[in-house]
Amino acid sequence: MDLALQLFFTGLGIGAVYALVALGFVLIFRATNVVNFAQGEFSMVGAYLMVVFAVDLKWPYGWAFLAALGCMALLGVVFNLGVYYPLRNRTFLPVIIATIGASIFLSNAVLALYGPQPQVLQGWFDTPGLQIGPVYLDSQYLLIMVVTLALVAFNFWFFERTMLGKKLQATSQDKEMASLLGIPVSAMIMLTFVYSAMLGGVAGILVAPILFVSIQMGSTIALKAFAATIIGGFGDVKGAIIGGLALGVIETFGAAYISVPYKDGFAFLVLVAFLIFRPQGIFGERVAEKA
Amino acid sequence: MPRYSGAAHQKEDMTISRRKFSGAFSGAVTASLAFPGLVGKTWAQGATIKIGMCAPVTGPAAESGRYAQIGAKLAIDAVNKAGGVLGKQVELIVEDDQTTNPGIVLAFSKLASQTDIVGFLGSIRSTQVHAMAPDVLKIGKPVMIGGTDPALTHMGNQWLFRFRPNDSYSGSVIAEYGVKTLGKKKWAIVHSTDAFGTAGGKALTAGLAKQEGTTIALDQGYANQSQDFTPVVLAIKQSGADILGSYFTFENDLGVFARQLRQLGVTIPYIGSPSIVNITALKLAGPALYGTYGVADYAEESSPASKAFGKAYRDVAKLAPDNQSSWTYDAITVLCMAINKAGKTDPTAIREAILSIRKHAGAEGEYNFDANGDGLHGYNIVKNDKGNVVFDKHVESAS
Repeated sequence: MDLALQLFFTGLGIGAVYALVALGFVLIFRATNVVNFAQGEFSMVGAYLMVVFAVDLKWPYGWAFLAALGCMALLGVVFNLGVYYPLRNRTFLPVIIATIGASIFLSNAVLALYGPQPQVLQGWFDTPGLQIGPVYLDSQYLLIMVVTLALVAFNFWFFERTMLGKKLQATSQDKEMASLLGIPVSAMIMLTFVYSAMLGGVAGILVAPILFVSIQMGSTIALKAFAATIIGGFGDVKGAIIGGLALGVIETFGAAYISVPYKDGFAFLVLVAFLIFRPQGIFGERVAEKA
Repeated sequence: MPRYSGAAHQKEDMTISRRKFSGAFSGAVTASLAFPGLVGKTWAQGATIKIGMCAPVTGPAAESGRYAQIGAKLAIDAVNKAGGVLGKQVELIVEDDQTTNPGIVLAFSKLASQTDIVGFLGSIRSTQVHAMAPDVLKIGKPVMIGGTDPALTHMGNQWLFRFRPNDSYSGSVIAEYGVKTLGKKKWAIVHSTDAFGTAGGKALTAGLAKQEGTTIALDQGYANQSQDFTPVVLAIKQSGADILGSYFTFENDLGVFARQLRQLGVTIPYIGSPSIVNITALKLAGPALYGTYGVADYAEESSPASKAFGKAYRDVAKLAPDNQSSWTYDAITVLCMAINKAGKTDPTAIREAILSIRKHAGAEGEYNFDANGDGLHGYNIVKNDKGNVVFDKHVESAS
């Protein structure tokens, strides 16, 4: 039982990271109908920015965090104008390819600017964790879970209770109709990219003290987060969160009770099972075409 | 394709068009793979002696790749300062292996297409050496390697020469030190599931089989680039092992594992493969690796030659040296020595000259090549004393 509790906590912690990145995938998909394969690199860039401000420039963590988020917002604007906007009237495929190209560009740009050395980013708390009975709670994982829950609550409030959120939803559901109703569609999409870049940055900054800051950190997380969005139901915010958490728990238990080397395999086994038996995911709705 | 000749410190860029390059490159690669004999006869026309190096310039091991290049360039400088090879300056041509198997195959093909390259440096990663080995056999020129899977020099490829002690030695040295010096007999073994880790795990198991009264409570593999080691750490705890031995391929993984090991309360003695004392691992894991032991092919205090290399490396890199740089330093030094000894750049003559090297004091230790191409046959035991790697003793393996 002690073992299961420990595994459950760790699984939730790593799952919360997947959930955060998955949230970015979902928001952009809802707004533009394309998958942003650079979402993982947003996490990596966010973590490196935190290293620049908190480690290199020695700013207090809070200020460094805000500065990194500000830069991520700017990256969202640039990404939207440079990658999505020129291709907005094309089919989804060129846009997806452009996001893959952008992810490669971001990785190599950081490599060129910062070098290949993995960096250490200290956790937010002096205490590395808490021992509660038989279970060790890593303070960074606790923080990630709290932030994820807070973001879920914020997303609900923002998209359901504010006019701006409703405009964003309207844009994602039908751009032409939204435009006819006077909603500035391009501005809404840009805002989505800004928010998604900031979300990706938050995920990278939070996970950096656990996985270190490296060029590859984004792509590793993004693959799992992408699987999480499919499991949860592509385009569904709840689905991204539940899918991410479920994936973290499944792979942790799978590693402990079945096989450690095939840990990554469990995540993708679940993904394949969903694609076969419930392709719309946990919360997705079945889409049928009229005859 | 970065080029380096020690005296001039030159870097040249290829500026020909992509189409011309592709055509010339594919033709040259095809020719070099199809007619290795022809390639062997056309190498020595240039004004310099060229050595090709596959190094991870990008990818997860890019940082250690930088150290490897510094080590190689230090050796090139030393050789050129001493008059070069066969009266010519030596030039190093580096190709990015991207820290992947396809990457090193491509990098080696690019280098092999240059018919005037007389010898090569391969990878420190066994899995990459396995990937490039078939092409090495086709090219038929000496390739210096740092991969420690024992099979690499025992699979009929006469062109591979190893500049680190192989894992059959590290396994027996870890086992002997853990049992005889630390007095521990119930072992947990953790290793990556790639060629290096699997071979290392087997070598440690074999080493323990020679020690009386030992048991293996856990033999646990893991996939590289894991984000979480909680299941592995909990398995160690549950196994009741009183000592841990490990073979980690990537320092990132080792850093994550070491932190979780301490967080989850595992405090048993820990002896790791050489990556445990790599600079990158020490930086990433920090206090989580304090008090651990490692087998290290390079230990700065182990010999006068190691000390001299350490000083030269620190002067240039402003960093503490480790095996990532020492093996490339030794590989270049020995290759150049062998070419001079052979008096010509014929691959077979160089091969024979390398195999005849005895009692060469290198940065990694004393080189005595056996018929398989293994130059070193023992390991140093070192301890992580609050972040400082302290030399304990050298153990020459009987196996």
